[in-house]
Amino acid sequence: MTNTYRELVIGGVLIAPIVAYAAIALMAFLLLRPLLRFVGFAKLFSNPSLAELSLYVAMFGLLALLV
Amino acid sequence: MPVNAASTAAPRPLVFAGFPASSWAFALRVWLAMLVALYVSFWLELDSPSSSALTVGVLALPTRAQGMEKAGYRLLATVIGVVASIAIAGTFSQTDGLLLAVLGICVGLCTYVAGMLDGNRAYAAALCCITVALVAIEQIDTPLQVFQTGVARGAAIGIGVIAVALVNEVLAAPNYHPVLANRIETLHRRVTDLAQGAEPASAPAAASLLHDIAALRPEIRTLATEASIGAARTEAARSALVEIVNALSLGRMLAALPAVSPDTAGLVAMARSWLRTEIGRTNAENRDSLDALREGTRPSHAWHAPLYRSRRIATEAAARAAISFTLIALFFVLTGWPTTELCLALVAVILALGSTTPAPRSFTLVAVMALPIACVLAGILKYVVFNGVSEFQLLAIGLAPVVIGLALLITLPNPMLSSLGRLVLVFTIAVLAPTNPQSYDPEVFLVTSFFACMSAVLSFAAQMLLPPLPGDRKIRFLLGEARRELDHLGSGRTRHLAPEEAAFRDAARIEQILTANGASPLDGKITAETMRYFDQAEALRRCHAELDRLQHGPLAGTAQEAERALAQRNGGAILAAAEALRLAAARSRLSADAAIAMLIPASSAFAPSQTSGRGEQP
Repeated sequence: MTNTYRELVIGGVLIAPIVAYAAIALMAFLLLRPLLRFVGFAKLFSNPSLAELSLYVAMFGLLALLV
Repeated sequence: MPVNAASTAAPRPLVFAGFPASSWAFALRVWLAMLVALYVSFWLELDSPSSSALTVGVLALPTRAQGMEKAGYRLLATVIGVVASIAIAGTFSQTDGLLLAVLGICVGLCTYVAGMLDGNRAYAAALCCITVALVAIEQIDTPLQVFQTGVARGAAIGIGVIAVALVNEVLAAPNYHPVLANRIETLHRRVTDLAQGAEPASAPAAASLLHDIAALRPEIRTLATEASIGAARTEAARSALVEIVNALSLGRMLAALPAVSPDTAGLVAMARSWLRTEIGRTNAENRDSLDALREGTRPSHAWHAPLYRSRRIATEAAARAAISFTLIALFFVLTGWPTTELCLALVAVILALGSTTPAPRSFTLVAVMALPIACVLAGILKYVVFNGVSEFQLLAIGLAPVVIGLALLITLPNPMLSSLGRLVLVFTIAVLAPTNPQSYDPEVFLVTSFFACMSAVLSFAAQMLLPPLPGDRKIRFLLGEARRELDHLGSGRTRHLAPEEAAFRDAARIEQILTANGASPLDGKITAETMRYFDQAEALRRCHAELDRLQHGPLAGTAQEAERALAQRNGGAILAAAEALRLAAARSRLSADAAIAMLIPASSAFAPSQTSGRGEQP
């Protein structure tokens, strides 16, 4: 069984779906940042930036896996 | 930009082979990021894998925030540059001279924008020019390849940015906010020391302090990319800087209060007491802002820290860069040499990067030194170290000494050596151009090296023929603009900034005046004149702000008289207006202490000895 990929088409140029997922995950992550600041996400980890990166990777992975 | 993040963090860092451990960690991160970028680019079979390694070299900054901000601007500028390249190639291809003229205008436009911005935003403007150079100019004879080249460059830069971000995150590159907080604290201490020292009104000391404060401005924006609480830290750092400038200017007002005479004793005492209270309040606000910076919370008062922009200097620099580029392009057209597009592209790169530095000619000189070194290093790597190998592991081992060594050089405090290290690193990768499979054609290498070196020499020659704006002329422009602004203060033509924010803008101008001559110190007379304009503008703005508050009360008439005295720029009249205001306030049983306290320093700032330019000698 093979997956069917829906490419993003911008002006006739086909863009790999993974690029679109990465961009969507980034947008979603940027929208999530005020909420993370509000709940004090940075104070929960000794290396907050690595935790934020892991969160982004998890969001990106879920998007690539489930969409 | 400071490159050694640990210079203020630890008093006695662990040193190995003359470099602190933090420098070694930074160099290892650069090497690892470069390997990751190259490996992924080879794996994805990108058209220009060397661009991703170049991106790592360009983004080699010791703290995470600095690298991330530059990366963001690099991506943005690449997109704009590629779109501009497509537009230029699509509209002007096969128009010969017109195309070169358009490219010259593009170089000028980017230089102008770079001159109007600071920090990484100026770099982004320069990078737009570089992208146009590397995409449109390199494909000048094959315009159909422009889109493909642009996409390949964008993909390679994206990989490079991801590699740097990943390595910095995983290897826990240090945060920038503790370094910045320490530097802001040191500046605040210097302001306090100056105010309590023997010469609190010393113009060179104050100008140098204002320069150091304003020089931090481009750095504070980088904090926004550090964490989700980065934006709050940026606000806190910005407020702390504005408050330091505020404390310094209030301290200078206090030091410059006129000597006590029987007529003015009451007024001076009132001004002194009010200024001391204000300085205490500003210092407390500054401590709050510093705490907010460390904790990642918003400051109690968020100030703007506006940048001073000189359109005239930016226009002159842009015109010079455009003319230099067009002259070199004409030279190539006249010689009729083949494959000169690489050389022309590198000329645009050097001119654009030079425009982001205070001294473009020194930058070009460093590039003239860096390019031959880079060519020799790339040659040694290619024909002695690698010599025909194609395994990635060997590439990784072979690159290690060069990349780590040059990254160590970048961490040196000497700006010349640091800049040389960065340029040699970037140019070595550019000349070596790692590809899969690696090309070992000596002819290509020799031609590339020759044209690369020639581009630097030609850029330098063009700058000798048409020198960049001289430092003293820049200073004259900036002082002229300061004088004009001072003349128009209060006449409704000024910008609507709070006095504190306007003072920071003036500090940014002083920073530009002090850096205009490069490393050479400024003439004492010019420093005194610069500080006199700063003091007068600051006193006037504060007076206007305080008098405006009295405009809708019973003291409106007296306040208007004081405004008229200020418009005359006459110290005696201002002092008389202050006395009149004190009497009127006493009669009305109202408080006008703040306005009176501001009018007294204004009267001494516009005392005849000050306005004639002989008052303050260093």
